[in-house]
Amino acid sequence: MKPWIYPAQWALFKMDDRLLMMFIGAIVGTCSGFAAVVLNHSLLFLLEWLSQWRQHWWAFILPAIGAALSSLFLEKVVKEGAGHGVPEVIYSVSRYGGLLRLRSTFSRLVSSCLTIGSGGSAGPEAPVVMSGSAIGSNIARFFSLNDRQRVTLVGCGAAGAISSIFNAPIAGIVFTVEVILGEWTALNIIPIAIAAVAGTEISRALQGNQIVFSHKVFAIDMGDIIASIGVAVFTAAAAILLTHGLRSMHKISGKVRAPMWIRAAIGGSMVGIIGLSLPVVLGEGYHSVHTMIEGNFSSGLAFVAIACLAKIIATSLTLGWGGSGGIFAPCLVIGSLVGLAYHRALSMLWPSADWVNEGCFALLGMAGLISGMLQAPLTGIFLIVEITGGYAVILPLIMVSAISATLCHYIEPSSFYLKELVDRGHLLRPGTDARVLSDLSIKELLETDCVCVSQNMSLRDFVKIVENSRRNYYPVENDETGEFVGMLHLDDIRPYLFNRMLYDAVLVGQIMNPHVATVLPDEDLSKILRKMDSQRLFSMPVVVNNRFVGMISKATLLDKYRKELMVQTSF
Amino acid sequence: MMISRLLHIFQNTPLGRETLLQAAYFTKKLRASLTIYIPRHIKFLMYFDNDVVQVDLDHSYLVSPDTAHDHAVEIAREAGVEPSFIEPKHFTASALPDIPTDFDYMICPRSISNLSSKLGLGYIGPKVQSIINTANFPVLIASHVYKPWKNIVVFFGGSANAFNALKLGFLIQNITNFPLTLFTYAETSFEAYQKEIADQGVEDELGLRVEDWQFFESGNLTDYLYNVPHDALVILGAFNHGLIRDIMFGNKLEKIQTSITNNLLIVGSRYSAVG
Repeated sequence: MKPWIYPAQWALFKMDDRLLMMFIGAIVGTCSGFAAVVLNHSLLFLLEWLSQWRQHWWAFILPAIGAALSSLFLEKVVKEGAGHGVPEVIYSVSRYGGLLRLRSTFSRLVSSCLTIGSGGSAGPEAPVVMSGSAIGSNIARFFSLNDRQRVTLVGCGAAGAISSIFNAPIAGIVFTVEVILGEWTALNIIPIAIAAVAGTEISRALQGNQIVFSHKVFAIDMGDIIASIGVAVFTAAAAILLTHGLRSMHKISGKVRAPMWIRAAIGGSMVGIIGLSLPVVLGEGYHSVHTMIEGNFSSGLAFVAIACLAKIIATSLTLGWGGSGGIFAPCLVIGSLVGLAYHRALSMLWPSADWVNEGCFALLGMAGLISGMLQAPLTGIFLIVEITGGYAVILPLIMVSAISATLCHYIEPSSFYLKELVDRGHLLRPGTDARVLSDLSIKELLETDCVCVSQNMSLRDFVKIVENSRRNYYPVENDETGEFVGMLHLDDIRPYLFNRMLYDAVLVGQIMNPHVATVLPDEDLSKILRKMDSQRLFSMPVVVNNRFVGMISKATLLDKYRKELMVQTSF
Repeated sequence: MMISRLLHIFQNTPLGRETLLQAAYFTKKLRASLTIYIPRHIKFLMYFDNDVVQVDLDHSYLVSPDTAHDHAVEIAREAGVEPSFIEPKHFTASALPDIPTDFDYMICPRSISNLSSKLGLGYIGPKVQSIINTANFPVLIASHVYKPWKNIVVFFGGSANAFNALKLGFLIQNITNFPLTLFTYAETSFEAYQKEIADQGVEDELGLRVEDWQFFESGNLTDYLYNVPHDALVILGAFNHGLIRDIMFGNKLEKIQTSITNNLLIVGSRYSAVG
């Protein structure tokens, strides 16, 4: 390997590894930004190209073809599981120091482009996050960076991607620390911020600096702020409905005995059928969001309510049946529909009241749904402020986001992204007990300086061994097979110790404890600790295939635990 | 001393039986423990220190899942080894289990080469190559049929990986007491190799453990390989020439594998268990 491959060896970066992280963070942010722009342009091209056939009656098969191709690409070409990828990124950060496959740098970009471009109801943001994170992870691997640095670069990739796709650098940073990493430290926040800036600049250079959903200024009074509580309640309900819809569709599709691509096609065709009468459900739906925020969405309350429900069903069908994409964009569409419907209901109930323009409620609805779905209120607030330029609505925005996230947390303790990881015990945030224990392996805790004794050894010989040893526990092995047969503790020999007459009469095998609880080398440490606590043990033998390999003790565990905790929380 | 562990991905087929017999023989000779994974999914992930490798199996690994466990136990016990089994505890995706990587050896079968198998285990194709390059354990490529080995041959070319292979050869010789022979396909003078060995501080151990050092200064690779005893375990370091060179000129490991039927124990650059 040539030295230039390792920037860590460059004189400039030897001074301070923060400089190194800032430098590579900028590279990662730039690459993620490019990935986001490429996906955005590909989507626009595909949507435009397919629009010539959308008015035909058979157009419902377009989302089916797109979803099937997307599934085939993921399953057969790149051999990756379906899904939008954000839980996979969080899982990798939690458990494997942010290691992600190289193929993930592009796989979700292609598959989500096929799904969304053909009319599937999903968003491009989560695939871009997956892609950006994988870019960060693989750049870290290429430069042989350590786990901590790799996790930071995964965060840089996610921040660069979100910043680029929404032209929203603060939202990119906040999303990364709130959702992906679950922490922010003085060390990781600067490279992530630099990556967000790099991603945004790439987007602005290639697509122009424009606010995604620009609108006119809203004049908000106290009545609107109080009324916004209702938006929070309804968006929380919609978020719960969407979460359940996605999960139940996933379960239903899992029961269908057909290849994955057929299932994706079934889901896609159902979305296509809904889209024939309600085109608002098709694709990412940003055009509809724009119309709603500008206050130009002309349909009545009933239509808006039906469209909202249809979008929830379409998104569940698309993603639950095997299509590829994320939930960000559908959340924005559903949220704005909820806000709009709520505003129209208010106007109907109190026609004389001077409500703010309905676009403001659409905007609040988006924040409420994002916050509720991700249970990440800061992401909801900053994203909506940045993509709408709506700083004037910051007060109701904060209120709606906070209430919606709280209500959703009350009903569903884990967010959509984290639910499965929490259920499987895979969400291990830095500095927590579970994370520290998961980062320790039995191999590194193993005490191998034990003295094994034979079961046919006399007590006299054993006492001689004890004289020269500092340990209290002695594993006992079978003479012929070498198999572990029990343990002998110093307490076990105390009754015989002062009666020298017994020294030659008593054998180790007679006084050992043959019923000792043992552990396997690949057992979870948390499980072993529970076993130790329940049986009041301070150490346990590790046995593989009936062979003793070492001891594991609480003292060593505590020592290593403290060191690991210091590593995880020292920056 | 910690008992070393060998990972075996079980294939419930006649070829899989041969590979398992080979794994059992290897663990028996090295007094190691045999750990078997019976795949329930067509792919799995192996997270190493600095990389993640996705292993895509062919469908033969999933045949007759009902009898797989019993067959594996029966074959291993017949060979005098008590196997242990691993069940994946962690999943990156619902159909994508993570397999532990804290093993000391891993065995991969050697299948009749065809293009489709290049993506899976059973061929020193990109997958096995990436495991070798990433893992901190050596990979044993088993012979087509069960073939007990009675002596050890180390291919020694003087590279860092070759020194790792040499040290592993010393370790296995120490445990098994089988004769150890060094094979060198010379690219420089004998004295230069001796100097490198002295520089690495393995001169004494080499004198103690190596029975014979066969030094080939002329002839082609096939002639060189012809001299390898048919019942030898061949230990060699991985050749890292890069993908482009492999595509253009062929992979040296593939050439060796197709020329000799011996069991090959391949040591990658991250192997650090000895020395």
